[in-house]
Amino acid sequence: MKDIPKFALTLLIVTIIASGSLAWVNKITKPKIFAIQSRDLNNGLLNVLPAAKNGVIVPVKSPSDPDNILYYEGFADKDKTKLIGYAYLVPASGYSSIIRTLVGIDTVGNIISIQILSQQETPGLGTKCQEIRSGESKPWFQHQFAGKMATNLAVDKDGGDIVSLTGATITSRAITNAIADSSKSILGLINK
Amino acid sequence: MKVTQELFKGIYSSNPVFRLMLGLCPTLAVTSSVNNAIGMGGAATFVLISSNFVVSLIRKFVPSKIRIPVYITVIATFVTIVDLIMAGFFPDLHKSLGIFIPLIVVNCIILGRAEAFASKNNVFFSLIDGLGMGIGFTLALITISTFREILGNGTWLGMPVFGSSFKPALLMILNPGAFFTIGFIIAFLNWLDRKTSVSS
Amino acid sequence: MDKNFYVSPSPHIKDRDSIPKIMYSVILALVPAGVGAVYFFGIRALYVIIITVLSALVSEAICQKIMKRPVTITDGSAIVTGILLAYNLPAEVPFWLPVVGAFFGIVIGKAVFGGLGFNPMNPALIGRAFLMASWPVYMTVFNTVPKNGTLSGISAITSATPLNVFKHAREILINSSSFSTQQVTEATNAMSQFSSSYGSLFWGKVGGCLGETSAALLLLGAVFLMYKRIIGWKIPFSYIGTVALLSWIFSGNDGLFSGDALFHVLSGGLILGAFFMATDMVTSPITFKGRIFFGIGCGIITVIIRLWGGYPEGVSYSILLMNLTVPLLDKFSRPKTFGGK
Repeated sequence: MKDIPKFALTLLIVTIIASGSLAWVNKITKPKIFAIQSRDLNNGLLNVLPAAKNGVIVPVKSPSDPDNILYYEGFADKDKTKLIGYAYLVPASGYSSIIRTLVGIDTVGNIISIQILSQQETPGLGTKCQEIRSGESKPWFQHQFAGKMATNLAVDKDGGDIVSLTGATITSRAITNAIADSSKSILGLINK
Repeated sequence: MKVTQELFKGIYSSNPVFRLMLGLCPTLAVTSSVNNAIGMGGAATFVLISSNFVVSLIRKFVPSKIRIPVYITVIATFVTIVDLIMAGFFPDLHKSLGIFIPLIVVNCIILGRAEAFASKNNVFFSLIDGLGMGIGFTLALITISTFREILGNGTWLGMPVFGSSFKPALLMILNPGAFFTIGFIIAFLNWLDRKTSVSS
Repeated sequence: MDKNFYVSPSPHIKDRDSIPKIMYSVILALVPAGVGAVYFFGIRALYVIIITVLSALVSEAICQKIMKRPVTITDGSAIVTGILLAYNLPAEVPFWLPVVGAFFGIVIGKAVFGGLGFNPMNPALIGRAFLMASWPVYMTVFNTVPKNGTLSGISAITSATPLNVFKHAREILINSSSFSTQQVTEATNAMSQFSSSYGSLFWGKVGGCLGETSAALLLLGAVFLMYKRIIGWKIPFSYIGTVALLSWIFSGNDGLFSGDALFHVLSGGLILGAFFMATDMVTSPITFKGRIFFGIGCGIITVIIRLWGGYPEGVSYSILLMNLTVPLLDKFSRPKTFGGK
């Protein structure tokens, strides 16, 4: 029993050194990680709202919680007069990961474009949601959402017209249904 | 002489995956593409060398009764460092390895080497051991993922291997494919061993 | 030396049955279904069967050569594996598919475990499961309409196999709110028409894998094997009985006990699986109770997959899963020795 103070002290020293070095690494990498994340987000927003290239995209925050961004408004000019559409992030529980998709819609709710920001689905099956077929310039799975009504989406197996990925129905269905559900609630917020 | 022996044992005679059967969980998970295998192998090698170094350095001060929590703290620290640095400087690799990085903490190769080797040997040999085991792990991952990616996806490191008429066997990039591949490689190595021991 | 007594452990009474005799009887019993397959699906069915059998034989010979064992491809076991695998393939598969499937089934399903008698699972089903997981598109798309019939067995619906129609209709009816009224009406119609398909299902005028469609021709072979005492009644009857009971209870649209049991027994690969694959001597239990439990287990898993699973048909996976329980079933159902505890 008399060893316990010694054990405690050893563990204390080890953990202090460990957390000290982690704090140091975190300090160096945090701005880098933040920059990468915001760069990815900005690129994504411009991809799903291409008409806002010469305008601005502003976040609309929750009135009760200013850290919570509900959706983004895209304007074709810098003075925020020509509203062209909205963009929002849709998380979907896929087969083996959370699939984060950025969706851009016009002012009435038709999808302009979608972009999958991150996913860790089964390689070769679910990951094909980001596949670009040879000879094409856009990922075919995401591209087929363009022009469809955001609130009314379903994969072919559920009677809709989104062609699902071979062998990855769960991934396809998760993305499709999550976009439809989120769009309903976001459009509800916008039209309020 | 002993240096090369310690270095090469991890690559062949006690390869962590094919001989010691350690770290099979991340092996199954990441070997679906060669790209993932290289990233995972590199990250695990870095953690292995660093943790072997530190564990060997502090082996005389750590009471044996609390050695496991101390080792785990050391390993977890290095894994978090790798995670943060990858996220900050290699975002694409970080995206594809994602959840596997934190799993290096519970990769039994790392704790296994800390316990079996670094806590009993001097700093220099522990570094060599970590390097050898890391290379062995990486090579094993690359070997397995080569078979799986070529058969299951028709590509190697993302480059198409066959013409477009080749229909890849999806099963090979699903988990059973990893079990089949590892099983056949181990069978092949055992057959090789038996052959050499009979002839010598 | 002639006067010596030989002392040997049991068994003392030996039957004249041998592996080749049993295997060739099974092959003979499978012939009617094969003839039916060629009649219904055309000459391509014959090509698929021949290619699969030849691939199985060649794979077996290669394995036995590499493993330096006597080459025993004439005992018929590889031929049975080949025929059973071919009967589990759609008629329009590309010809390389059965080659790969037979090779995988023989190598991974049998040779790596030590050959005939040591395989824990049915090699033909291993081959099928591998093909199913690797090339689902080729394995689940049925386009060849059987002669004088329709893919679904129902004259009004011509697009998909009976179990596919059932699965699709059931999914629509369960979540009827998220589908259009037209789709719901179509699904209800399809469900009510299954009773008109019994005849097609029994004779085999429906779409599906080569050898699974005709219950009549399969039963002909099964009766022959039962007469020859090569297969017993316990596994097939407990298997089919369980499927009938559970599908009667759960598969209906009007609550419990409204399901169409006969449809579920006749459709898909149940007859083929229950009589010819679940009864495989190597991979089924040897005790009385063990066989009954084996059949019930197969039935439960089949119905679960058909009604709630991701695939329309679950016969092959249910047999594979139950194959793995055989050592346990044999252990727990071992009869008590007289006077033993």
